[in-house]
Amino acid sequence: MPSRRRAVAPRFTMTRELTLVAVTVGLTVIVGLLNHDFVGAQNLRFMLLNSVVLSLVALGQTLVIAMRGIDLSVAPILGLAAMVCGLLAQTHGLSLAVALPLALCIGLVLGTINGVLVATMDIPPIVVTLGTYSLYSGLTFLYSDGTQVDAVPPTFAAFGNGRLFGIVPLPTPVVVLLVVLALCWYLLRHTGFGRAVLAVGNNAAAAYAAGLPVTWVRIRVYALSGTLAAFAGLMFLCYTGSATVTAGTGDHIELQSIAVSLIGGTAIAGGRGNLIGTVLGSLFLSVVLTALVFLHVPPIWYSAGEGLMILAAVQAGFGRRGARA
Amino acid sequence: MSALSDIGTPAATDAPMGRRRRRFLSMGGWELSLLVLLVVVTTGFGLVVPGFFDDVSGFLAMSSNFLPFGIVALGLSLVIFTGGIDLSVGATASLAAVVAAQLWATMGLNIWVASLLGLAMGGVLGAINAAVIVFLRIEPLIATLATSFIYTSAAVAVAGDSPPSGFPDAFNNMGSGALALGSFQFPYQLLLFIPLAVIFWLLVGRSAFGRKLVTVGYNSEAARYSGIRVPRVLAAAYVISGMMAALAGLVLSAYYSAARADMGDVLLLTTIAMVVLGGVSIFGGEGSMGGVIVAVLLLGLLRQGMLIAGFSDMVTSMLTGAILIGSIAIRNVFSTRVGGFGKRLLAFIRRPAAAGPDTNRHDAP
Repeated sequence: MPSRRRAVAPRFTMTRELTLVAVTVGLTVIVGLLNHDFVGAQNLRFMLLNSVVLSLVALGQTLVIAMRGIDLSVAPILGLAAMVCGLLAQTHGLSLAVALPLALCIGLVLGTINGVLVATMDIPPIVVTLGTYSLYSGLTFLYSDGTQVDAVPPTFAAFGNGRLFGIVPLPTPVVVLLVVLALCWYLLRHTGFGRAVLAVGNNAAAAYAAGLPVTWVRIRVYALSGTLAAFAGLMFLCYTGSATVTAGTGDHIELQSIAVSLIGGTAIAGGRGNLIGTVLGSLFLSVVLTALVFLHVPPIWYSAGEGLMILAAVQAGFGRRGARA
Repeated sequence: MSALSDIGTPAATDAPMGRRRRRFLSMGGWELSLLVLLVVVTTGFGLVVPGFFDDVSGFLAMSSNFLPFGIVALGLSLVIFTGGIDLSVGATASLAAVVAAQLWATMGLNIWVASLLGLAMGGVLGAINAAVIVFLRIEPLIATLATSFIYTSAAVAVAGDSPPSGFPDAFNNMGSGALALGSFQFPYQLLLFIPLAVIFWLLVGRSAFGRKLVTVGYNSEAARYSGIRVPRVLAAAYVISGMMAALAGLVLSAYYSAARADMGDVLLLTTIAMVVLGGVSIFGGEGSMGGVIVAVLLLGLLRQGMLIAGFSDMVTSMLTGAILIGSIAIRNVFSTRVGGFGKRLLAFIRRPAAAGPDTNRHDAP
């Protein structure tokens, strides 16, 4: 198998995507038959919107995992970006046009720090991002100084909940997600950088021997993951209209993003990344969690449902133990 | 997860024949530097921070604030030695403690019998982890991530709306009490930790099981071909890790005299930091128990010292994170074994002498 396996196996990944679509649609129909409100336009829109923030984080996580890394610090990066933009907007009237580049810069800087530590110091990514997890969540805590964001300007709320320019038939976050997905997909599948990411994930030593700039590729992927997490933070702020110290870290979005990447068909051992699967995976997660609400399952079992779902999805074929992670 | 660095030596003590040297308590250079750092930190805080070292009893009493982390770290080390990870330690600690507390509160069981059942519960949860990893062949990171979600739900469900609290004083003493020897107070937690630390140190450094554990982590294929029953070794590691997590959960519930379902959440990240700082490679097969034990005391005392000095909890966590990254970075920069920045730096410095590729991947003596 390994000798014949290409970096990306399109037929196989399409199967995974079709399965995810089938399971998601099937679940929606079944729960919809039990409770008609579940398939109402309002709930469908809610489930779609609810998956956007996680999808944005998980797209970055997918690239990192495809490179045989892991990024636990996405949660505090999301929280810090949401807190900084939110507080500045709330107290100093920061406009969305300034908040967007600000959030991206925050993510770029924090992500690059991760990347530099992983790539040049040769520290295992789980150790680096565990350390920066404490550091970045501490920054959020110090910056917020006990306050929280509960009122964002109307432009932010419109960006997070409205329609793009008021005419596009999809909510703005969904359109934004599709654009980001398209960019990431193009980057991974159709550029030299994307091939380098998969090559490093497959075998970093071989990639190095083949002359690929392994260090530089690693730094760029972690920077990208940080940037996407911060962008997700801004989206979170716009969508929910609030930001607290535990935004991101409280929901364990770092673990959720790893889970949906694996559900989507990205291999934990690296060398294979499925971005469309990741987005479908987070939509699936959103549908499952909403379905549990509609089926009157007590909230305490949501997390168990998530755990079982991860096991089932991984058992279905991907994420098996290949090379030592 | 750099492929360039995941070829390690089996253990610091495993220098090839002819290069074997006597080491102080079988500690390598890393463990010794940690020990020196521990002495420096303790003396430094003792001299600079009032209240850190007033008398021996007060100094020892501080250990009750961080030893539950140490107990988890002992068990988690075994799992990390095998090249795996156990993300479910926090949830296991909570679930086992809550189950024990409910057995005491609702079924009227003796608190110590309930505690033993709680420990057994931890072993069962560890066995479930092992089963998922061995039989379903799922990566330990994912397997224990999933089970931690499930155990968390179960813990919240078992705890109910009003988690049990108000345990008998004899039980609470295990968490916050101290053995009085005249005017000298020796905390029960320390009394529990010291024998455990010795047992784990002997287990890893001096027993056949320890050799197998490290061999499996170094190269599980090679371990299999040399006749080691790899699944059995893995199962033992996860079961022990689960039991130690459960023990930490029980100590925590004694400390608070209450069992909460989110009690164990704080354990995970700090204990991974302790194990990694102790010199255990996250890829497995490398490290020593002595290093972990010193790292537990170092991180614990450092944290206590900073809290007494008046730093906030958050700043203390941030500094812990920075120390974790910084110490591993320093080790890598000055180690010629890894093919990273340090090796290139050293190669650059020694350029005139450098001839041919460096095939010696062992620590330079």
